[in-house]
Amino acid sequence: MSIGRTIICLLVALLLTSPAFGQATGTPKDMAGTGYYRDQDTLPGAIRFYSQLPGGEGGLWGLGPSRQKIRRSSFKMDAHDEVADYSPEVRCKKCHIPQTKDLHYLRMGITCVQCHRSQPVAGVYHYYSSLNPIRRHAYVCAKCHEGATPSFASYMVHEPNPIAPETRGSFPLFYYVVWFMLILASGVFLFFLPYTALWWIRELVAKLKGRPDHG
Amino acid sequence: MADERTRLKRFTPVHRLWHLGLILVFMTLSVTGIAWMFFETPWGRGLANLFGGYVNVLEIHRTAGLVMLAGFTSHILYMIYRIDWKGFPRSLLGPETLVFQWVDVKGFFRHLGWVFGLNKLPHFDRWSWWEKFDYWAVWWGLIIIGVTGLMLYNPVLTSDYMPGWMLNVALWVHRIEAVLAMGYSFTAHFMIEHWRLGSFPFNAAMFDGTLDIEEAKHDHPEWIARLEKEGRLNEALVAPPPVPLRIFYFLFGYSIIFLGLFLLVFAIANAALLTLF
Repeated sequence: MSIGRTIICLLVALLLTSPAFGQATGTPKDMAGTGYYRDQDTLPGAIRFYSQLPGGEGGLWGLGPSRQKIRRSSFKMDAHDEVADYSPEVRCKKCHIPQTKDLHYLRMGITCVQCHRSQPVAGVYHYYSSLNPIRRHAYVCAKCHEGATPSFASYMVHEPNPIAPETRGSFPLFYYVVWFMLILASGVFLFFLPYTALWWIRELVAKLKGRPDHG
Repeated sequence: MADERTRLKRFTPVHRLWHLGLILVFMTLSVTGIAWMFFETPWGRGLANLFGGYVNVLEIHRTAGLVMLAGFTSHILYMIYRIDWKGFPRSLLGPETLVFQWVDVKGFFRHLGWVFGLNKLPHFDRWSWWEKFDYWAVWWGLIIIGVTGLMLYNPVLTSDYMPGWMLNVALWVHRIEAVLAMGYSFTAHFMIEHWRLGSFPFNAAMFDGTLDIEEAKHDHPEWIARLEKEGRLNEALVAPPPVPLRIFYFLFGYSIIFLGLFLLVFAIANAALLTLF
């Protein structure tokens, strides 16, 4: 093989390489693989965890986060390519404030790039993204949660505000159950706190009068 | 001799042991749970550091949770053992049981009327409506917080049996029920049991197992009347426990009360610093 043909081969190889690999901080295998599955992860119902486009489903599944709005940029190789003033130098937190209010970020001190990888940040539904539901459990969650499964990976790290009206549509079970608990708890407090205070005052009144209260 | 017997037997040693165990485990769970909930504040980090940081705090919280569920299971087994199955279900009714009955609905509304000065104080039997509420509140609380706590104990295993996003729901239910249980215990429960004029400063009934006869005449006249009618009042009367024991009950009780108030005050003071939304 001549030197000229070798150079042409190398150039073609470079040009044909998927641009998605450009974001790789791990090995290309990480990007192409679909993760590790056990038998129960591949049963017919389990497909819900890998679905690229969550849709309306019946029963318990319909009460889950299946009607989240997904941005077009979530399917892009570079999720920020339409953001005019985007710069990799700017901290993620400057724009993604709601995404910093969760246990992973606040309590465990996990940084954005530990899951979303470095520049360019791929949309989570891009085929090669490490956060794509087909491989998220194996390549992201399992870094800390040993044995993470696709079902486990459907936990919402950036969970919506459970009491916000929008959550009623996007994650109904979360909305209704949290509201139920809040009403239960506030009902108990709203009754017992004033009632015990009045009760105490009533006993004081009875004592001051010095009369037995019983009928 | 008869003059010294000023207290009425109310709780058996088994009841007192459960209540003592519940206090110890509940307070352990409260401190470690609050330390974790407030971990982003200096106060929460300080609490967690007492236990050796957040990893240990969570580990202690999980273990204490299992102990609490074991205690709950033993209580359910005891209850099944104690129920009079021959007379079931009628044996569940009557003045000696904690089952809510029509008399409690009446008792509640008459008590409400008394607080607002509309009628006389109703005559309660052995258990008043608020004592039954206290008992069943622990049941509902333990079921809600126990189920969600078990779900969160091993989230990876839990998600084999349900979708992982159920953990989002479980965590919030666990938090709200925890706030409810602690908030209720550290305000209403302490107030009703210890700070009402008749009980102030400390009602040791759940610790020494007996209730002062004067207090019983005020809160449970129907019970005393029934014991008298059945000729059992004399055998139910006992002398107060020895002074050192009473001092010990008081000191133990107040250290728990102060710990509860400490958690309550600082949790409210630091609540605005939480950024979980």
